[in-house]
Amino acid sequence: MTTQADLLPGTLDLLILKAVSLGSLHGYGILLRIGQISRGELLIEQGALYPALFRLVRQGYLKARWGISDNNRRAKYYELSASGRKRLREEEDGWNRLVIAMRFALGAEAEET
Amino acid sequence: MKLLAYVRSLCARLTDRERTDSDIDEEFRAHIETHADDLERLGLSRAEAERRARIAFGGYERAKEECREERAGFQLESAWKDMRLGLRMLHKNPGFTAVAVATLALGIGANAAIFSVVRGVLLRPLANRDEDRLLYLRQSIPGDDDLTFSVPEIQDLRKGLSTVKELGTLSQVDFTAVGLGQPREISAGVVDGNYFEVMGLKPVIGRLLNPSDDGPNASGAAVLTYRFWTTTLHSDPDVIGKTIRLGSFDGTRSAVIVGVVEPSVPYPVETQLIANIVTSPHHLSATMVQGREHRMTEVFGRLGPGADLESARAELRVVYGAMLAAHPEVYKPTDHFQIEVTRMHDQINARARTILWVLFAASGLLFVIACSNVANLFLARTVRREPELALRSALGASSGILRRGLLAEALVLCGTGLLAGVLIAAPMVNVLSRYASRFSVRAVGLTLDSSMLWIGVVLAFIAAVFLAFVPRLPSADASRGFGISSSSVRITGGSRRRLRIFAVTQITASFLLLVGAGALLRTLLMLEKTQPPFETAHVLAVNLPVMTDGRSPEQVREFYREVQRRLSTLPGVEHVASGFSVPWRDARALNINFSFAIEGAPREGSQQEDPRARFRSVSTGFFQTLGVPILEGRDFDDRDRDGAERVVIISQSVAKRLFPGQDPVNRQLRWTDPVMRFIGISFEPRRIIAVVPDLDDQELIPMPAMTVYQPFEQEAWNGRLFVRAKNDPYALVPTITREIHDMAADQPVERASTLDDIRAEVMTPDRLNAVVFGGFASLALLISVVGVAGVLAFSVSGRTREFGIRLALGARPGHVLANVLSEGLVIAIIGVGVGLVVWFAFARGIAKYTAEVQLPGVLPLAISAMLILAAALIASAVPAARAAAVDAAQALRSE
Repeated sequence: MTTQADLLPGTLDLLILKAVSLGSLHGYGILLRIGQISRGELLIEQGALYPALFRLVRQGYLKARWGISDNNRRAKYYELSASGRKRLREEEDGWNRLVIAMRFALGAEAEET
Repeated sequence: MKLLAYVRSLCARLTDRERTDSDIDEEFRAHIETHADDLERLGLSRAEAERRARIAFGGYERAKEECREERAGFQLESAWKDMRLGLRMLHKNPGFTAVAVATLALGIGANAAIFSVVRGVLLRPLANRDEDRLLYLRQSIPGDDDLTFSVPEIQDLRKGLSTVKELGTLSQVDFTAVGLGQPREISAGVVDGNYFEVMGLKPVIGRLLNPSDDGPNASGAAVLTYRFWTTTLHSDPDVIGKTIRLGSFDGTRSAVIVGVVEPSVPYPVETQLIANIVTSPHHLSATMVQGREHRMTEVFGRLGPGADLESARAELRVVYGAMLAAHPEVYKPTDHFQIEVTRMHDQINARARTILWVLFAASGLLFVIACSNVANLFLARTVRREPELALRSALGASSGILRRGLLAEALVLCGTGLLAGVLIAAPMVNVLSRYASRFSVRAVGLTLDSSMLWIGVVLAFIAAVFLAFVPRLPSADASRGFGISSSSVRITGGSRRRLRIFAVTQITASFLLLVGAGALLRTLLMLEKTQPPFETAHVLAVNLPVMTDGRSPEQVREFYREVQRRLSTLPGVEHVASGFSVPWRDARALNINFSFAIEGAPREGSQQEDPRARFRSVSTGFFQTLGVPILEGRDFDDRDRDGAERVVIISQSVAKRLFPGQDPVNRQLRWTDPVMRFIGISFEPRRIIAVVPDLDDQELIPMPAMTVYQPFEQEAWNGRLFVRAKNDPYALVPTITREIHDMAADQPVERASTLDDIRAEVMTPDRLNAVVFGGFASLALLISVVGVAGVLAFSVSGRTREFGIRLALGARPGHVLANVLSEGLVIAIIGVGVGLVVWFAFARGIAKYTAEVQLPGVLPLAISAMLILAAALIASAVPAARAAAVDAAQALRSE
């Protein structure tokens, strides 16, 4: 299991954007969604989530609005803005390129060089 | 897009700050409760579920704080909040705030005021066009640093120079002016036609003098200086075109006033009027035009295009050297003639510069003291607040936030100090400019420099940043903060050491200021204690300038004789005499000295120079009037008239030096100075008829003075009246004036003043020096005493428990008292020690540059040290008494 502390810098933002891109969510929902889509491999420290959310709102990637949750509680819902969607695409591309590059690099065999 | 989002959210924050804050709470709560809902569904009790959810959430407050920081407008908002908090903190500690603000205000105010004066006097450019190209030339020999120049010398220099575009000349002459209101004696400059062009000055009204006013055939023309025109003539524009009569010692000429020159610094002397050459017959005489040694003219120059000061200096030396070589009979190599050229600006500032920089240094020290003191108070208070800071740190405040809080507090403090400082700076500038005007005419009428506000702001900011970073913050290990029981303060070693260092700094700085003030005070006391060598309290000196207009020399002499006769019969008058120089006041006349030789006495070695003596021309009864006995021989009397045998009276120093062990009376003396030729004094031998004690009329502290007195009846000049009164001398002034005006209605009768008051007037700069520095030093001492007392009070209150235990274990209160007192003394002793080291280093440094500066002796050092130690004892007394009075039981219970 990887905790937030071990995440690469910038990954938390990417995870949040990804989680929210699947539908608007409140903070707790985002945590659950991240856990779910990473198959329980990535766990975010709860208190650290909110500063990141506030930052993304300030930067204009997320939009926040108050709504009512499934359990009838008032909760703040976050959804992607247009620029957030764009940012997510760019980050995904960048990340995928990095992953492919890393896979090549780590999978290199002695005879191939 | 991003910017828009930022602005939108910023607006939301600023307009609805409280709500966003509670929003965070609500969001967090929703999170925790939703989590608890999930846990409850897994079968936990509600309470347990909520507890686990809270634990899972982590640091609630810290997260909240971090969210706030991420919000738009956070910086702005938190700065505002910090300021308000700072204000509240200061408001809650009025004593601390008052002392700190007052101290800072003094430090900042004094600096700003002195900077205004330094800028106004030293740095501000002169009114003259391209003032940085304006030069001042000076010829000197060892022993006379301002020889001035003669007309042939100026001609030689003028011919040879290429780096200097033009030379302008000015000679100082005292005119008796008739036609400008009351007849009066005025100080004037006689200039050539280039003068105003070289000086680069413009007229306010009318025109200035130009080359067409030059030469013997021009008609008399005069320009008024701005100050004279505005103050004495009340800016009367009708004065232009007026014809006035100007009388000097060689005759009277008329001149038309053609203009008023713009305000400018008069140099080398303050003048009221500047006239062309023809107004002074002496300047056209052959002796003046041809006499190479007849020096009475100041020379100014203007750098030519492309030339700089260095090249001008080099060229001037070459040209001057050639001139010296061409006239070896005048410039004897043993005399070491020299020429120097300086920027006019620097020349004018020369006298004020030292005193102003010293003052600047003093105010710098004061600022250091003020800052140290406030730092002390601030540090002490922060240490006391350590539990609070630790608590805040534990609750999630980062050290940056704490530091920012301190900075805000310091800024509020220094800002208030700045405001108060600016308020006191304006009156300080007034006082200082009046003070500085003793040294530089440029200080007259200086006002607060608006740029000094910036100096104040910068100083305040420096102080604030310094203050904010002085205290040590609670370490990251916040739990230690909780260990401290909230009622007592344990001072950490680092803070304590810092407090001491600041206290020592203050002591050192105030010690240095005290030493300086002490030295000045000593000079003043010495001056005031010194008895002048003649009667001063009852002797009135009056300017009675010679009016030559239409009168023969014999008529002039008869006039003064008649004045003497008529005034002596007035009731209340004891003696009356005349001369040509008032002691201490007529600097130029007092400075006249000539070389002479003793008839029949072999020269002491062939290479030896002739001795020089002060030249004085006096009337019968002069010595009696000043209450000086004639040691040998007789006073001048009616026998010593024009045409009779020439006689002189010599001072004791002359007798001792030239007639050792002999009787000088009836021996003969002869002037040998080549200048004599130009001023109508003959080289004939003169019989010595008397010896009088040395009368030093130049120095405030009498020195041996070689002086030769001549009867004014036989040669030379007059113009000053001395009246010895039986009672109040000033009561006689109206009567004297009336008597004289009865004889000659036009005769100016001016500046009546007792010799006592003249002496006091001359002493004013010394007195002001002492007062200003004394003021600085006492302020510094006061602040330091507060500082030392503060440090000790703080130290004592931190050690209440220690004292309690010691007293409980049987320590005598006297012991505890002595303990705290000695703590204060140690601070003072270290401070004084450091001060001494700095002082000696400074003294050695300054001795390298100049021998002129008189360094105070051991006495001021010792007295200052004693004063500091005594002050430190007094400052420690209060906290010491408090320590000794600690109630042991209470002190222990308080833990």
